[in-house]
Amino acid sequence: MATNLNHFEVFGLQPAFELDRSTLAARYRELQREFHPDKYVSRSDSEQLLAIKMAAQINEAHTVLRDPVQRAGYLLKLAGVEVPPEQTTSDTEFLMQQMLLREQLEEVRDQADPAAALDELNTEVQGLISTEERRFAEAYGAKSLRAAEESLRKLQFLVKLAHQIDEREEDLFNN
Amino acid sequence: MALLQISEPGQSPAPHQRKHAVGIDLGTTNSLVATVRSGSAEAIADECGDVILPSAVHYGADTITVGTEARARAAEDPYNTMISIKRLMGRGVADIKSFGEQLPYHFADSNSGMPAIETAAGPVNPVQVSAEILKKLAARGREALYGKSGGELDGAVITVPAYFDDAQRQATKDAAQLAGLKVLRLLNEPTAAAVAYGLDKGEERVIAVYDLGGGTFDISILRLSRGVFEVLSTGGDTALGGDDFDRTIAGWIAEQAGVGTDLDAATQRSLLDIACAAKESLTGAEQAQVRYGSWSDVLDRATMASLLDPWIDKTLRACKRALRDAGIGADEVQEVVLVGGSTRTLRVRERVEDHFGRAPHAEIDPDQVVAIGAALQADVLVGNKSSEELLLLDVIPLSLGIETMGGLTEKLIDRNTTIPVSKAQEFTTFKDGQTAMAVHVVQGERELVSDCRSLARFELRGIPPMVAGAAHIRVTFQVDADGLLSVAAMEKSSGVSADITVKPSYGLEDKDIARMLQESYTHAAEDIALRALREAQVEAERTLESMLVALRENGAQLLDERELNELEHAMEGLRLAHNGGDAEEIRRRMEALNKLSEPFAARRMDASIQRAMQGHSLDEFDK
Repeated sequence: MATNLNHFEVFGLQPAFELDRSTLAARYRELQREFHPDKYVSRSDSEQLLAIKMAAQINEAHTVLRDPVQRAGYLLKLAGVEVPPEQTTSDTEFLMQQMLLREQLEEVRDQADPAAALDELNTEVQGLISTEERRFAEAYGAKSLRAAEESLRKLQFLVKLAHQIDEREEDLFNN
Repeated sequence: MALLQISEPGQSPAPHQRKHAVGIDLGTTNSLVATVRSGSAEAIADECGDVILPSAVHYGADTITVGTEARARAAEDPYNTMISIKRLMGRGVADIKSFGEQLPYHFADSNSGMPAIETAAGPVNPVQVSAEILKKLAARGREALYGKSGGELDGAVITVPAYFDDAQRQATKDAAQLAGLKVLRLLNEPTAAAVAYGLDKGEERVIAVYDLGGGTFDISILRLSRGVFEVLSTGGDTALGGDDFDRTIAGWIAEQAGVGTDLDAATQRSLLDIACAAKESLTGAEQAQVRYGSWSDVLDRATMASLLDPWIDKTLRACKRALRDAGIGADEVQEVVLVGGSTRTLRVRERVEDHFGRAPHAEIDPDQVVAIGAALQADVLVGNKSSEELLLLDVIPLSLGIETMGGLTEKLIDRNTTIPVSKAQEFTTFKDGQTAMAVHVVQGERELVSDCRSLARFELRGIPPMVAGAAHIRVTFQVDADGLLSVAAMEKSSGVSADITVKPSYGLEDKDIARMLQESYTHAAEDIALRALREAQVEAERTLESMLVALRENGAQLLDERELNELEHAMEGLRLAHNGGDAEEIRRRMEALNKLSEPFAARRMDASIQRAMQGHSLDEFDK
């Protein structure tokens, strides 16, 4: 580790789920301008190595913070709660909804207008994601970590589904 | 000697003194070197005024010749004349067999995965051949920058194709080391071309780089966003180029002149020369008078277009594929850049313009544009330009993964991740008392290990004996800004670092490079020892200098008295070793100092990040 700071501290931020993407991007550029190995080419070997580690850590922090699911997981990790990916939820209603959505995705192929059906499904899933993100933010803000954890698990489900929709869209586009 | 120059952080030790850096385009067919002089980048010519150095090396029993002279010997002495060696860089013997048809060489048995070619001068490998080309270019650069008296280069940026994997990049860097060059950065060729046109400045945009050389075609789709150059996709054809144009036109001449098809080599050669001359004159003129023997006719642009179009169609199909891979429409491309001598052909420009719906950049000589971009970047990296300018963030072109049970790949770092990047992975033992394990690293997008490129096998040794599953070995994979991988490992519970033996699948091990360096010196061992000592001393000077700066800046705030004393003691030790003459001792002292200063370095990083982020009020985010 090149720095002892956590991902939020690297970007000069307080740990929070809400985050302004353009500010994150601007600070990322600023940090890279200062710490990228290109700025250290005439320095000693150990400083160059440190710059590589530092830049890698900045990149890692950036990757985690700009992705809502990873950011949520990281916030919980900082609070001492590890949520492994692919963890299941015990909310049966949610699970039922997931099954239905997945069935819908499977059936897209047979629709008269698969592209439109896929679009509609995508809009629905994106809406669910936004709602769940809001729930996470509220739960985390209110320090109810258990509720936040539950939200994150659901988010993981939904984001995976969104990826599958993307892949299906790619297939449709290519054929 | 001014041993301890003090300088401000971020500045070169002597700001007034210009550093000497070059950009090198190490090409399949031709290579070039360029540098920035009086503010503008230009390619450097040899004494005959040629900027292009053919990438050919001839091995005679006692002499090695490089360039035009070597290329001229390819026909009479094919076994000893290395051409298109770039195709073999970082490749294994099995890969070479698949190109077997095109390459006349005798491959010698070699115990590493790297192929060796039998020549009159003994076996040589592709890294050594490339090093000869680099040496020639470096000499040209030194002469241009220092005159005949000579002097050392402060560094070089060397370009590589965007799709080069770790092994190919490593081979390129090894060649530079063998040639005695300090590599400031390996830069992607299409990125270099975009930099030459200043496209790194400004808004977010998509750039297509169309590179048609003598024998290869590459298309790269780049995206510049928020200062990051991202290679979205690459494509092309490794056996398509301007040589095909010449052959097709020569065929037309032979047909029109009625010379038949069964031609000897000399006739073919002269037809090709006539064809090439006609092609070139049609860049300016509407038509060209073509003569062969007693036959003579006019070749006009329309006829040539009909002859070349089938080849150009092929390149445009590759462009379409690359755009599709990138998920970008042709109309979303905002800039098109032409690279490679064959893009001088007017018909190529017309068709490219038509395809992308915009006029391509062709203001800079397409043979030189990559070297010029590399020279501009070298000038910045070496510290001649203010650090505000030109920061290129690159991505890793292919995913990195490790082999898991059943020959499957587990991806650790996804393609298109911004580099540098580092990822840690935990491994555990599966047998009681197990003290070693093997890790196989691969690069590629496919699920089966056999479909990916094997990069290296690592052996972790020195794991403390424990019951199965109790040892947790954390292996850190780090990719630096050149896209090169390194690995470190540590057993977590005991804190013991495991030794790693790297065996590159198609590359050279450090000891191979050391041996080849040694062989390349004609003089006795003391030369090598002297060089090692000098290198260690320079590095010691750098280390001491940066420690002094660091201590002066915030030693007082960040260190307690004991720590400060220890550091000063270690510095004194290094200073003494520096003035002694033992390279080994210098290295040892330097390592000790570096180890001791690690916590201080991390604290300094923390402080400088906080300083960099200062002034941003936190309520910027309360929206």
